[in-house]
Amino acid sequence: MIDTLQILFNGVVSGLLVALPALALALTFSVLRFANFAIGAMLTAGAYAIYAFNAGLGWPLLPSALAGIVLGGGVAMLVDRLVYRPLRERSPVTLLVASMGVAFVLENLVRFVAGNAPVGYAVDPARPLRFAGLRVNHEQLLIVGIGIASLALVWIVFRFTALGRAMRAVADNAPLAAARGIVANRVIGATWFIAGALATTAGMLIGLDSTLDPQMGWNYVIQVFAAAILGGISHPMAAVAGALVLGVSAELSTLVIAPHYRPLVAFAVLTVLLLIRPWGIFGTARLAK
Amino acid sequence: MTSYLFSILVLVSIAGIAALALNLQWGLTGMVNFGLFGFYMLAAYVYAQVAATGASPWLALAAAIALTGVAGALTSLISLRLADDYLAIVTLGFAECLRLVAIHEEWLTRGSLGIANIVRPVAGDGAFLALCLVALLLSFGLLEVIARAPLGRAARALRDDPLVAATTGKDVMWLRVKLFGIGAAITGVAGALHASYYQYIDPTQFGPIITAYAFMGVIIGGRGSNRGVIVSAFTVILLLEGTRFLNDHVGWLTPAQLAALRLILIGVGLILALIYRPQGLVPEYRLKVRVPAPVEG
Repeated sequence: MIDTLQILFNGVVSGLLVALPALALALTFSVLRFANFAIGAMLTAGAYAIYAFNAGLGWPLLPSALAGIVLGGGVAMLVDRLVYRPLRERSPVTLLVASMGVAFVLENLVRFVAGNAPVGYAVDPARPLRFAGLRVNHEQLLIVGIGIASLALVWIVFRFTALGRAMRAVADNAPLAAARGIVANRVIGATWFIAGALATTAGMLIGLDSTLDPQMGWNYVIQVFAAAILGGISHPMAAVAGALVLGVSAELSTLVIAPHYRPLVAFAVLTVLLLIRPWGIFGTARLAK
Repeated sequence: MTSYLFSILVLVSIAGIAALALNLQWGLTGMVNFGLFGFYMLAAYVYAQVAATGASPWLALAAAIALTGVAGALTSLISLRLADDYLAIVTLGFAECLRLVAIHEEWLTRGSLGIANIVRPVAGDGAFLALCLVALLLSFGLLEVIARAPLGRAARALRDDPLVAATTGKDVMWLRVKLFGIGAAITGVAGALHASYYQYIDPTQFGPIITAYAFMGVIIGGRGSNRGVIVSAFTVILLLEGTRFLNDHVGWLTPAQLAALRLILIGVGLILALIYRPQGLVPEYRLKVRVPAPVEG
């Protein structure tokens, strides 16, 4: 019984790790209609930005995290300005390929500066806590706390603010939104900032949970896409549900197959989903011929 | 110097074959294949393992090509009715999972130890280079025939507007599976040549960089233009491959930094080419029909 509970808890924790970048992916997809393959590299770059403040400048983790999140969001906006905006009138496939180019640049900038060897944040290790037999370590508490707080924050912005309304308007019908006086480029910039901030936060949490290495984000790409598609990629918040489902099922699968095959589980879920219900659990049909 | 020239020409031919294959899938048909390196790796392993049983290397080559073609067709089936972004993630997922299998299933692939002593179909460096160039030429010839044949026209129609292609009675699904499968089979040629060139393979040799090289070749050459791909292979890819040999001469950068720098260059090059020269170096083949002058009256 307690083992099942532990598996569920671990599944929720790893699901939350995937939920943040999956939400970022779905946000940019719903506003811009293209799949951003650089999401993994954004995560890596953000994690290393925080590492630069934390280990490089010797700041404590909290100010480093805040500075890194602002920097990660800023870099995402800059990439949009330099790469995606000039290509905005082209086909989504062109943007897709361009985002792969962005992924190469970001990941290898990290390699160039920080090297290939894994590194870790300067934080003190602590003993795991026990709640009624459930083993919970501090990193997991941080992941749950920060993960849920970030998701709630994005949800509030998306649902209740003028910016969120503008984002939904552009996602729904960009020409109509423009006709109603919404400046598309400002909304798109804000969307990228949120996406970059989410990816950076996820990068930090993954770095706290294990270590940082230049491939860390790339290793999550399949799971992030599977989560976003599972939820229905044009419904941002549904990506969170997709990620949690995926996290728990991946954790359950470790009972029967080796843990290093996690991405394989995500891919299998994705394959089955694409064959039977490609518009996701919550989405509506969007089929091409 | 001759051995340097030999290896660089072999590597450029192999990269050129992979880029030609991508040009059929993405350039001509519009199917984004981010998992190209997975098919390439599959072919390398099939070649190595079949050749290791003592069978003729030519048989191993044929097996690698056939199996990769079938794997490509099956992978494209998963996202057949969906938009292009889905094919991109499905192929990437396929490739990454295959790499995991290659790392962890030691009974099948010898894991990170790798497979050594892979035999080549021909003996001698000169003969091997000739084999690579012939393979490049044959792939080019085949793809040029396809580009000019009704199949190539149908492929361009699928890329530009699948609905119109369907309306004119084309079987869109079957065409996509077929074209993707042919492309994967040609990628298989490149993968098998890779294994027989290095005579040793392990999972670290295969990664998204192989895909990036192919995209680079197609984008700079000009989407849909096989001649453009050849031109860009022997200019851009030649230059990039050439920087591999700079390691001994640039003291102030570590080899790892130099590798990272090369990948940054590839990324920047891809983006700049997409923004500033989307048509590439050589325009795509178009059937030209002489239009009779309108009759006055």
